[in-house]
Amino acid sequence: MVNLEDLKKEAKRILEEGKIKYIIGYERSPNGMMSMPAFIKNPEDAERLTWDPSCVYNLTRFLVDEKRRKAKEKKPDTRPVAIVVKGCDSRAVVVLLQEKFINREDVYILGVSCEGAGVVDEKKLTEKLKGKKADKIEFSEKDHFLITSDGEKIKIPAQEILAERCLECRANFPVIYDEVLGEKVERRPEDPFKSIERIESLSKEERWAFWKEQLDKCIRCYACRSVCPMCYCDECVVDTISFAVAADTTAEEKAQKIKWIERSPDSSENFVYHLVRAIHLAGRCIDCGECERACPLDIPVRLLNKKLEKEAKELFDYEVGFDPEKPSLASSFKDDDPEDFIR
Amino acid sequence: MQKILRKKSFPQWVKKLESYKIYAPAKNGDVWNYEAVNHSEDIDLDYLNSVLSPKKIIFPQREIFLEFSTSNDGNPEINEVLPEENPSVIFGVRPCDAKALTLTDSVFGGDFDDLYYWRRRDQAILVGLACHNPPSPNCFCLSVNGSPHSKEGLDILMTDLGDRYYVESLTEKGNKLLNLGNKFFEEPKAKDKKDLEKINLASEKKIKRRIKEIKKIPPQLKEMFDSPFWDEEAMSCIRCGICTYLCPTCHCFDISDEVLSSSPIEGKRVRTWDTCQFPDFTMHSSGHNPRPDKASRLRQRILHKFQYFVERYKNYQCTGCGRCISKCPVGIDIIEVLDKVRDYGT
Ligand code: SF4
Ligand code: SF4
Ligand code: SF4
Repeated sequence: MVNLEDLKKEAKRILEEGKIKYIIGYERSPNGMMSMPAFIKNPEDAERLTWDPSCVYNLTRFLVDEKRRKAKEKKPDTRPVAIVVKGCDSRAVVVLLQEKFINREDVYILGVSCEGAGVVDEKKLTEKLKGKKADKIEFSEKDHFLITSDGEKIKIPAQEILAERCLECRANFPVIYDEVLGEKVERRPEDPFKSIERIESLSKEERWAFWKEQLDKCIRCYACRSVCPMCYCDECVVDTISFAVAADTTAEEKAQKIKWIERSPDSSENFVYHLVRAIHLAGRCIDCGECERACPLDIPVRLLNKKLEKEAKELFDYEVGFDPEKPSLASSFKDDDPEDFIR
Repeated sequence: MQKILRKKSFPQWVKKLESYKIYAPAKNGDVWNYEAVNHSEDIDLDYLNSVLSPKKIIFPQREIFLEFSTSNDGNPEINEVLPEENPSVIFGVRPCDAKALTLTDSVFGGDFDDLYYWRRRDQAILVGLACHNPPSPNCFCLSVNGSPHSKEGLDILMTDLGDRYYVESLTEKGNKLLNLGNKFFEEPKAKDKKDLEKINLASEKKIKRRIKEIKKIPPQLKEMFDSPFWDEEAMSCIRCGICTYLCPTCHCFDISDEVLSSSPIEGKRVRTWDTCQFPDFTMHSSGHNPRPDKASRLRQRILHKFQYFVERYKNYQCTGCGRCISKCPVGIDIIEVLDKVRDYGT
């Protein structure tokens, strides 16, 4: 079991040594059960850190912010930042390294084990508690969560309230780290693609109807994109200004820029957005499920990426985010790569 | 006009309103939203709050302003498109969301009346539903000049008394609706009034969250424009549009031409929602962006709601619905932010 005190001690130590700029971790929210991202600079604040099943966030997204901020600074502080990662999050670090978006020496990785369980799905928990408010959630003995609600302790089998992606997780222990806490508990899902099999079993017409109904709900708040560690492009094709405008870009050049997508949240534009995003994440998405968790309209966006993850596996035997030395899917080529889908 | 309506008579009353387009909260998967209803029996007023407020009916995310094309003789042709004449009734409006419309009224009214907004607004009759239980653990209407049984902005306020509704009409429009269902309403008795009072008092007590000493906040914000506070607070912001798109009071938009064909020219000019949280919101055509980072954008959201709007319209541009708190993917909590603002430097 991860000893929280060990995490705090290690955090304090690395900050005191002064070799780390700050730590990206989790802390308890002052309101409610959920944790929230924390940015710790001072050794004495290491006390605030937490690690429990409410730590759903994939914090590697903040490595993207860090890189942007650093690029703007005149005299950047070049020390690495430390980051607390779960197994799935660590795979995101691997992809960022593979794609050379970050360098290994820019990050100090503090891995935590999911203890053979995973993180909670807040909605499932709320349903389970039937109106009672959870104040705290902890890992308990194998495969159980311990919930404190109104001073009462309730034990719930993890399987019943785990986040969907945790049910299909293939890395519940960090795959890359400088320091790791907790034991490695093997838990291989029987079927890592179970969630999409239901969709795949539908007819073409049914699938179209399903996705149309789902994507018609989209309000294009772009939370799914903003929360994703892989959506790090400085310019996104769906933004109104999706091209570099410099001081010397002429009015004519600006007028001639192609607008790929309209702002109107109707079926056609929403499909363009979601399909572009899905394709751009093929062989890159590590299935942290953050996109789906963030969506205020409960659109199962993760399934789109999951489908492409499955394609990558079946067509190219490629699994994302396990080996930083391996070239990424889109930048590797083998003579015997299948090409029968190219027509 | 005050009446009592038996719950079982509610659908019958709604049936009498067939000349109106009816909207009510409807559940799709796990989320509630206001949708057009075809059968009065389908209306379920036992809901929490909708993800999007009824703002989306009065100020839709996409509004067509005009259509343009080249006519056969080569001259440009422009047709104005106005919202259709279609009187509507929106059921189940929460008091905070009704109050929010009075705030967007001041923005789309005043010196210049926004034709599109007002055409929809004037045609809509708002039937509110008092919150006998706060629909969200993050409700804080009591801190921002509201209450779970506030009548502001509503035409009718309904209060759930268990087996019956206490129905109070507040405007001419409201009276008209009640008259259409005349035979279903009873006169309230002394007990009904007592029950109403009890429920109203109890509902206020159930609201747990508050912004303390809110009066101190606007002047304090004025001092904090250049404070490093915003950089710290915005560290976890992911710059999505949830807080503003879901907010019942946010009203920013963009206007663009959607060109369907460039030769011969054919297209539409549309207004769509926009948000101060997107980087391109303030991007100049020179490439310069006066709000270049998420700190300046978070600051804008807070200052607009709790300083600029207060200075201009003497009200907070927030009605305490709690949506931005509940739905923020990283747990940014406007009450926490304002608490820190108030205590900053003390
Ligand atoms: S988070 Fe949901 S509503 Fe927002 S853009 Fe993504 S899919 Fe659409
Ligand atoms: S697409 Fe979704 S699941 Fe995949 S890495 Fe991005 S946020 Fe995570
Ligand atoms: S700022 Fe937040 S709490 Fe206030 S009205 Fe808007 S969404 Fe609701």
